[in-house]
Amino acid sequence: MTDQIREQVSALLDGELPPDEVGLLVRRMERNRELRGAFGRYSLIGETLRAPGGLVASPAFAARVSAAIDAPQGVQPGLRRPAASARARWGRPAFAAAIAASFALIAVIAVQPFAGREAAVVAAHTAAAPSGSALGGEASPTPARSQRLAGYLVAHSQFSSPIVRQNVWSGLLAADPGLSRVSYETVEGP
Amino acid sequence: MKPHEPADDDARPVSGLEQSDLELVKRAQRGERGAFDLLVLRYQHKVIKLVARLLRDPAEAEDVAQEAFVKAYRALGSFRGDSAFYTWLYRIAVNTARNSIASRQRRPLDYEADLSESEQSAVESRMRHNDTPEAAALSEEIRATVNRAVEDLPEDLRTAIILREVEGLSYEEIAAAMDCPVGTVRSRIFRAREAIDRHLKPLLD
Repeated sequence: MTDQIREQVSALLDGELPPDEVGLLVRRMERNRELRGAFGRYSLIGETLRAPGGLVASPAFAARVSAAIDAPQGVQPGLRRPAASARARWGRPAFAAAIAASFALIAVIAVQPFAGREAAVVAAHTAAAPSGSALGGEASPTPARSQRLAGYLVAHSQFSSPIVRQNVWSGLLAADPGLSRVSYETVEGP
Repeated sequence: MKPHEPADDDARPVSGLEQSDLELVKRAQRGERGAFDLLVLRYQHKVIKLVARLLRDPAEAEDVAQEAFVKAYRALGSFRGDSAFYTWLYRIAVNTARNSIASRQRRPLDYEADLSESEQSAVESRMRHNDTPEAAALSEEIRATVNRAVEDLPEDLRTAIILREVEGLSYEEIAAAMDCPVGTVRSRIFRAREAIDRHLKPLLD
Protein backbone atom coordinates (compact mmCIF):
# COMPACT_ATOMS: atom_id res chain seq x y z
CA MET A 1 0.00 0.00 0.00
CA THR A 2 1.49 3.30 -1.06
CA ASP A 3 1.54 6.53 0.88
CA GLN A 4 -0.36 8.09 -1.99
CA ILE A 5 -3.37 5.88 -1.34
CA ARG A 6 -3.21 6.46 2.39
CA GLU A 7 -3.07 10.19 1.71
CA GLN A 8 -6.25 9.77 -0.32
CA VAL A 9 -7.82 7.99 2.68
CA SER A 10 -6.86 10.93 4.87
CA ALA A 11 -8.36 13.41 2.39
CA LEU A 12 -11.54 11.30 2.11
CA LEU A 13 -11.97 11.50 5.88
CA ASP A 14 -11.81 15.30 5.65
CA GLY A 15 -14.20 15.45 2.71
CA GLU A 16 -11.39 16.90 0.61
CA LEU A 17 -10.91 14.11 -1.93
CA PRO A 18 -11.94 15.07 -5.48
CA PRO A 19 -15.28 13.37 -6.29
CA ASP A 20 -13.84 11.50 -9.27
CA GLU A 21 -11.36 9.74 -6.97
CA VAL A 22 -13.90 8.67 -4.35
CA GLY A 23 -15.41 5.70 -6.19
CA LEU A 24 -12.17 3.89 -6.87
CA LEU A 25 -10.89 4.50 -3.34
CA VAL A 26 -14.12 3.25 -1.72
CA ARG A 27 -13.96 0.05 -3.78
CA ARG A 28 -10.29 -0.35 -2.92
CA MET A 29 -11.05 0.12 0.77
CA GLU A 30 -13.83 -2.42 0.62
CA ARG A 31 -11.23 -5.03 -0.32
CA ASN A 32 -8.43 -3.74 1.89
CA ARG A 33 -8.75 -4.20 5.62
CA GLU A 34 -5.59 -2.23 6.39
CA LEU A 35 -6.94 0.84 4.58
CA ARG A 36 -10.22 0.60 6.48
CA GLY A 37 -8.25 0.29 9.70
CA ALA A 38 -6.27 3.42 8.88
CA PHE A 39 -9.50 5.30 8.12
CA GLY A 40 -10.92 4.24 11.50
CA ARG A 41 -7.78 5.23 13.41
CA TYR A 42 -7.50 8.59 11.64
CA SER A 43 -11.10 9.19 12.69
CA LEU A 44 -10.26 8.22 16.27
CA ILE A 45 -7.31 10.65 16.31
CA GLY A 46 -9.63 13.51 15.35
CA GLU A 47 -12.25 12.49 17.87
CA THR A 48 -9.64 12.29 20.63
CA LEU A 49 -8.27 15.74 19.81
CA ARG A 50 -11.72 17.32 19.65
CA ALA A 51 -13.36 15.60 22.61
CA PRO A 52 -10.88 13.80 24.83
CA GLY A 53 -12.24 11.27 27.28
CA GLY A 54 -15.43 9.25 27.12
CA LEU A 55 -15.94 5.93 25.47
CA VAL A 56 -14.37 4.91 22.20
CA ALA A 57 -15.57 2.09 20.00
CA SER A 58 -13.87 -1.25 20.52
CA PRO A 59 -11.70 -2.32 17.56
CA ALA A 60 -14.25 -4.94 16.44
CA PHE A 61 -17.25 -2.61 16.60
CA ALA A 62 -17.46 -1.75 12.88
CA ALA A 63 -17.11 -5.42 11.93
CA ARG A 64 -19.95 -6.30 14.34
CA VAL A 65 -22.19 -3.67 12.75
CA SER A 66 -21.38 -5.07 9.33
CA ALA A 67 -22.26 -8.61 10.47
CA ALA A 68 -25.49 -7.35 12.05
CA ILE A 69 -26.49 -5.69 8.77
CA ASP A 70 -25.90 -8.95 6.93
CA ALA A 71 -27.95 -10.91 9.47
CA PRO A 72 -31.70 -11.43 8.92
CA GLN A 73 -33.90 -8.64 10.29
CA GLY A 74 -34.60 -9.06 14.00
CA VAL A 75 -31.33 -10.89 14.62
CA GLN A 76 -28.44 -8.83 15.95
CA PRO A 77 -25.29 -10.92 16.22
CA GLY A 78 -22.70 -9.77 18.69
CA LEU A 79 -25.10 -8.11 21.08
CA ARG A 80 -24.07 -8.65 24.66
CA ARG A 81 -27.68 -8.34 25.77
CA PRO A 82 -30.96 -9.28 24.12
CA ALA A 83 -32.24 -6.66 21.72
CA ALA A 84 -35.05 -4.45 22.93
CA SER A 85 -37.35 -5.92 20.29
CA ALA A 86 -36.89 -9.35 21.81
CA ARG A 87 -37.84 -8.01 25.20
CA ALA A 88 -40.98 -6.47 23.78
CA ARG A 89 -42.10 -9.86 22.48
CA TRP A 90 -44.73 -10.17 25.20
CA GLY A 91 -46.65 -7.30 23.77
CA ARG A 92 -47.17 -8.90 20.39
CA PRO A 93 -50.62 -10.10 19.42
CA ALA A 94 -49.15 -13.45 18.37
CA PHE A 95 -48.29 -14.07 22.00
CA ALA A 96 -51.88 -14.80 22.96
CA ALA A 97 -52.24 -17.40 20.23
CA ALA A 98 -48.89 -18.97 21.09
CA ILE A 99 -49.62 -19.31 24.78
CA ALA A 100 -53.01 -20.83 23.97
CA ALA A 101 -51.32 -23.43 21.79
CA SER A 102 -48.85 -24.22 24.59
CA PHE A 103 -51.70 -24.81 27.02
CA ALA A 104 -53.39 -27.02 24.45
CA LEU A 105 -50.24 -29.14 24.34
CA ILE A 106 -50.15 -29.38 28.14
CA ALA A 107 -53.78 -30.53 28.14
CA VAL A 108 -53.02 -33.17 25.55
CA ILE A 109 -50.08 -34.51 27.55
CA ALA A 110 -52.18 -34.62 30.70
CA VAL A 111 -54.75 -36.91 29.07
CA GLN A 112 -52.16 -39.14 27.41
CA PRO A 113 -52.26 -41.98 30.02
CA PHE A 114 -56.01 -42.27 29.52
CA ALA A 115 -56.37 -41.83 25.80
CA GLY A 116 -53.32 -43.72 24.60
CA ARG A 117 -50.12 -42.43 23.11
CA GLU A 118 -51.18 -42.44 19.48
CA ALA A 119 -54.36 -40.51 20.13
CA ALA A 120 -52.36 -37.96 22.12
CA VAL A 121 -49.89 -37.43 19.34
CA VAL A 122 -52.68 -36.95 16.82
CA ALA A 123 -54.52 -34.62 19.20
CA ALA A 124 -51.37 -32.61 19.84
CA HIS A 125 -50.82 -32.29 16.15
CA THR A 126 -54.40 -31.19 15.59
CA ALA A 127 -54.29 -28.65 18.42
CA ALA A 128 -51.01 -27.11 17.36
CA ALA A 129 -51.40 -27.15 13.59
CA PRO A 130 -54.88 -27.55 12.24
CA SER A 131 -53.65 -27.80 8.65
CA GLY A 132 -52.07 -31.08 9.68
CA SER A 133 -49.68 -33.55 8.15
CA ALA A 134 -49.82 -37.31 7.76
CA LEU A 135 -49.00 -39.23 10.89
CA GLY A 136 -48.48 -42.97 10.82
CA GLY A 137 -50.57 -45.42 12.71
CA GLU A 138 -47.81 -47.26 14.59
CA ALA A 139 -48.17 -47.66 18.30
CA SER A 140 -44.74 -46.15 18.96
CA PRO A 141 -43.85 -42.73 17.50
CA THR A 142 -41.08 -42.74 14.91
CA PRO A 143 -38.10 -40.37 15.27
CA ALA A 144 -39.48 -38.32 12.38
CA ARG A 145 -42.82 -37.94 14.12
CA SER A 146 -41.06 -37.10 17.39
CA GLN A 147 -39.09 -34.47 15.57
CA ARG A 148 -42.25 -32.95 14.11
CA LEU A 149 -43.89 -32.90 17.50
CA ALA A 150 -40.83 -31.33 19.06
CA GLY A 151 -40.88 -28.78 16.25
CA TYR A 152 -44.38 -27.72 17.16
CA LEU A 153 -43.41 -27.57 20.78
CA VAL A 154 -40.43 -25.34 20.16
CA ALA A 155 -42.30 -23.15 17.72
CA HIS A 156 -44.99 -22.44 20.26
CA SER A 157 -43.02 -22.49 23.48
CA GLN A 158 -40.47 -19.89 22.36
CA PHE A 159 -43.10 -17.36 23.34
CA SER A 160 -43.86 -18.96 26.70
CA SER A 161 -42.17 -18.61 30.07
CA PRO A 162 -39.31 -20.92 31.19
CA ILE A 163 -41.58 -22.65 33.72
CA VAL A 164 -44.19 -23.52 31.09
CA ARG A 165 -41.45 -24.69 28.72
CA GLN A 166 -39.87 -26.89 31.37
CA ASN A 167 -43.19 -28.46 32.35
CA VAL A 168 -44.12 -29.20 28.77
CA TRP A 169 -40.72 -30.71 28.01
CA SER A 170 -40.80 -32.89 31.15
CA GLY A 171 -44.27 -34.15 30.34
CA LEU A 172 -43.41 -34.84 26.75
CA LEU A 173 -40.15 -36.63 27.53
CA ALA A 174 -41.90 -38.80 30.10
CA ALA A 175 -44.52 -39.72 27.55
CA ASP A 176 -42.10 -40.22 24.67
CA PRO A 177 -38.41 -40.87 25.52
CA GLY A 178 -37.71 -40.81 21.79
CA LEU A 179 -37.99 -37.05 21.90
CA SER A 180 -34.74 -36.82 23.85
CA ARG A 181 -33.00 -37.74 20.61
CA VAL A 182 -34.23 -34.52 19.05
CA SER A 183 -32.25 -31.54 20.20
CA TYR A 184 -33.77 -28.11 20.70
CA GLU A 185 -31.17 -26.61 18.38
CA THR A 186 -31.90 -29.09 15.63
CA VAL A 187 -35.57 -28.33 15.38
CA GLU A 188 -35.09 -24.60 15.84
CA GLY A 189 -32.68 -24.27 12.93
CA PRO A 190 -33.69 -23.24 9.42
CA MET B 1 -39.52 6.69 13.20
CA LYS B 2 -39.41 9.42 10.62
CA PRO B 3 -35.84 9.86 9.45
CA HIS B 4 -36.33 12.95 7.35
CA GLU B 5 -35.78 16.43 8.55
CA PRO B 6 -37.50 19.26 6.79
CA ALA B 7 -35.14 21.08 4.49
CA ASP B 8 -34.03 24.24 6.23
CA ASP B 9 -33.20 25.96 3.03
CA ASP B 10 -32.76 24.83 -0.53
CA ALA B 11 -29.45 26.65 -0.66
CA ARG B 12 -28.22 25.23 2.65
CA PRO B 13 -24.44 25.54 2.64
CA VAL B 14 -22.79 22.13 2.63
CA SER B 15 -19.32 21.60 4.09
CA GLY B 16 -16.73 19.36 2.48
CA LEU B 17 -17.36 16.78 5.18
CA GLU B 18 -21.10 16.77 4.52
CA GLN B 19 -20.43 16.53 0.82
CA SER B 20 -18.19 13.55 1.44
CA ASP B 21 -20.85 11.91 3.62
CA LEU B 22 -23.44 12.52 0.95
CA GLU B 23 -21.23 10.90 -1.65
CA LEU B 24 -20.80 7.84 0.57
CA VAL B 25 -24.54 7.72 1.32
CA LYS B 26 -25.40 7.80 -2.37
CA ARG B 27 -23.01 4.96 -3.01
CA ALA B 28 -24.44 2.96 -0.11
CA GLN B 29 -27.95 3.61 -1.44
CA ARG B 30 -26.84 2.12 -4.74
CA GLY B 31 -25.75 -1.00 -2.88
CA GLU B 32 -22.06 -0.31 -2.17
CA ARG B 33 -21.79 -1.76 1.31
CA GLY B 34 -18.19 -0.59 1.61
CA ALA B 35 -19.38 3.01 1.50
CA PHE B 36 -21.66 2.49 4.50
CA ASP B 37 -18.85 0.70 6.36
CA LEU B 38 -16.80 3.88 6.01
CA LEU B 39 -19.63 5.95 7.47
CA VAL B 40 -19.68 3.56 10.44
CA LEU B 41 -15.93 3.95 10.87
CA ARG B 42 -16.25 7.72 10.66
CA TYR B 43 -19.08 8.09 13.19
CA GLN B 44 -18.70 5.09 15.50
CA HIS B 45 -16.90 6.97 18.29
CA LYS B 46 -19.25 9.96 18.18
CA VAL B 47 -22.35 7.76 18.26
CA ILE B 48 -21.03 5.59 21.09
CA LYS B 49 -20.12 8.64 23.15
CA LEU B 50 -23.53 10.17 22.55
CA VAL B 51 -25.39 6.97 23.42
CA ALA B 52 -23.23 6.34 26.51
CA ARG B 53 -24.11 9.81 27.82
CA LEU B 54 -27.80 9.20 27.25
CA LEU B 55 -27.87 5.70 28.74
CA ARG B 56 -25.47 6.37 31.61
CA ASP B 57 -24.45 2.75 31.16
CA PRO B 58 -21.23 2.26 29.25
CA ALA B 59 -21.76 -1.50 29.18
CA GLU B 60 -24.80 -1.08 26.96
CA ALA B 61 -23.56 1.76 24.76
CA GLU B 62 -22.00 -0.38 22.03
CA ASP B 63 -25.07 -2.60 21.74
CA VAL B 64 -27.38 0.37 21.35
CA ALA B 65 -24.99 2.10 18.94
CA GLN B 66 -24.85 -1.07 16.86
CA GLU B 67 -28.63 -1.18 16.76
CA ALA B 68 -28.70 2.47 15.69
CA PHE B 69 -26.29 1.88 12.80
CA VAL B 70 -28.29 -1.13 11.62
CA LYS B 71 -31.49 0.93 11.73
CA ALA B 72 -29.76 3.71 9.81
CA TYR B 73 -28.64 1.26 7.14
CA ARG B 74 -32.09 -0.21 6.76
CA ALA B 75 -33.64 3.29 6.52
CA LEU B 76 -30.95 4.66 4.23
CA GLY B 77 -33.24 4.52 1.21
CA SER B 78 -35.39 7.24 2.76
CA PHE B 79 -32.48 9.61 3.41
CA ARG B 80 -32.74 12.45 0.89
CA GLY B 81 -29.98 14.74 2.10
CA ASP B 82 -32.33 17.42 3.44
CA SER B 83 -30.17 17.47 6.54
CA ALA B 84 -26.58 16.46 7.13
CA PHE B 85 -26.13 12.69 7.34
CA TYR B 86 -24.71 12.92 10.86
CA THR B 87 -27.75 14.92 12.04
CA TRP B 88 -30.00 12.18 10.70
CA LEU B 89 -27.80 9.46 12.19
CA TYR B 90 -27.71 11.18 15.61
CA ARG B 91 -31.49 11.39 15.61
CA ILE B 92 -31.72 7.64 15.03
CA ALA B 93 -29.15 7.05 17.79
CA VAL B 94 -31.08 9.24 20.24
CA ASN B 95 -34.34 7.43 19.47
CA THR B 96 -32.68 4.04 19.81
CA ALA B 97 -31.20 5.05 23.17
CA ARG B 98 -34.62 6.27 24.33
CA ASN B 99 -36.18 2.96 23.34
CA SER B 100 -33.46 1.12 25.22
CA ILE B 101 -34.08 3.19 28.35
CA ALA B 102 -37.83 2.54 28.08
CA SER B 103 -37.14 -1.17 27.60
CA ARG B 104 -34.87 -1.20 30.64
CA GLN B 105 -37.64 0.33 32.73
CA ARG B 106 -39.95 -2.50 31.62
CA ARG B 107 -37.48 -5.22 32.58
CA PRO B 108 -39.24 -6.33 35.79
CA LEU B 109 -41.94 -7.71 33.45
CA ASP B 110 -39.39 -9.73 31.52
CA TYR B 111 -40.44 -13.31 32.19
CA GLU B 112 -37.48 -14.61 30.24
CA ALA B 113 -35.12 -13.57 33.00
CA ASP B 114 -34.24 -16.56 35.12
CA LEU B 115 -32.63 -14.49 37.85
CA SER B 116 -34.37 -12.69 40.63
CA GLU B 117 -34.37 -8.92 40.43
CA SER B 118 -31.60 -8.62 43.01
CA GLU B 119 -29.47 -11.23 41.24
CA GLN B 120 -30.07 -9.50 37.92
CA SER B 121 -29.07 -6.20 39.43
CA ALA B 122 -25.89 -7.72 40.88
CA VAL B 123 -24.91 -9.21 37.51
CA GLU B 124 -25.52 -5.93 35.72
CA SER B 125 -23.54 -4.10 38.33
CA ARG B 126 -20.62 -6.52 37.87
CA MET B 127 -20.87 -6.08 34.11
CA ARG B 128 -20.71 -2.34 34.52
CA HIS B 129 -17.77 -2.48 36.86
CA ASN B 130 -15.95 -5.00 34.69
CA ASP B 131 -16.46 -2.99 31.55
CA THR B 132 -15.95 0.52 32.74
CA PRO B 133 -12.40 0.47 34.12
CA GLU B 134 -11.12 -1.39 31.05
CA ALA B 135 -12.87 0.97 28.65
CA ALA B 136 -11.84 3.98 30.70
CA ALA B 137 -8.23 2.80 30.85
CA LEU B 138 -8.11 2.29 27.08
CA SER B 139 -9.71 5.66 26.49
CA GLU B 140 -7.19 7.34 28.78
CA GLU B 141 -4.30 5.51 27.13
CA ILE B 142 -5.51 6.60 23.70
CA ARG B 143 -5.86 10.19 24.86
CA ALA B 144 -2.38 10.26 26.39
CA THR B 145 -0.79 8.57 23.36
CA VAL B 146 -2.43 10.92 20.85
CA ASN B 147 -1.53 14.01 22.86
CA ARG B 148 2.09 12.91 23.29
CA ALA B 149 2.36 12.13 19.59
CA VAL B 150 0.90 15.53 18.65
CA GLU B 151 3.37 17.32 20.95
CA ASP B 152 6.23 15.49 19.27
CA LEU B 153 5.17 16.55 15.76
CA PRO B 154 7.17 19.14 13.84
CA GLU B 155 5.46 22.50 14.11
CA ASP B 156 4.10 22.65 10.55
CA LEU B 157 2.43 19.22 10.89
CA ARG B 158 1.11 20.02 14.38
CA THR B 159 -0.41 23.31 13.22
CA ALA B 160 -2.05 21.68 10.20
CA ILE B 161 -3.64 18.81 12.16
CA ILE B 162 -4.86 21.10 14.96
CA LEU B 163 -6.40 23.56 12.50
CA ARG B 164 -8.15 20.68 10.78
CA GLU B 165 -9.29 18.52 13.68
CA VAL B 166 -9.79 21.01 16.49
CA GLU B 167 -10.72 24.18 14.61
CA GLY B 168 -12.51 22.36 11.79
CA LEU B 169 -10.98 24.46 9.01
CA SER B 170 -11.09 23.29 5.39
CA TYR B 171 -7.87 22.61 3.50
CA GLU B 172 -8.32 25.88 1.66
CA GLU B 173 -8.70 27.84 4.91
CA ILE B 174 -5.67 26.12 6.40
CA ALA B 175 -3.68 26.91 3.26
CA ALA B 176 -4.58 30.58 3.64
CA ALA B 177 -3.70 30.54 7.35
CA MET B 178 -0.38 28.79 6.81
CA ASP B 179 0.41 30.56 3.56
CA CYS B 180 1.07 27.41 1.57
CA PRO B 181 -0.62 25.48 -1.29
CA VAL B 182 -3.64 23.28 -0.60
CA GLY B 183 -1.65 20.21 -1.73
CA THR B 184 0.91 20.92 0.98
CA VAL B 185 -1.85 21.11 3.59
CA ARG B 186 -3.22 17.77 2.46
CA SER B 187 0.24 16.23 2.68
CA ARG B 188 0.98 17.73 6.11
CA ILE B 189 -2.28 16.52 7.59
CA PHE B 190 -1.66 13.05 6.21
CA ARG B 191 1.91 12.95 7.56
CA ALA B 192 0.70 14.15 10.96
CA ARG B 193 -1.92 11.39 11.05
CA GLU B 194 0.61 8.78 10.02
CA ALA B 195 3.03 9.89 12.74
CA ILE B 196 0.31 9.72 15.40
CA ASP B 197 -0.99 6.42 14.02
CA ARG B 198 2.42 4.77 14.47
CA HIS B 199 1.90 5.17 18.23
CA LEU B 200 -1.84 4.52 18.24
CA LYS B 201 -2.03 1.36 16.15
CA PRO B 202 -0.19 -0.93 18.61
CA LEU B 203 -2.72 0.02 21.31
CA LEU B 204 -5.64 -1.13 19.21
CA ASP B 205 -4.19 -4.27 17.62
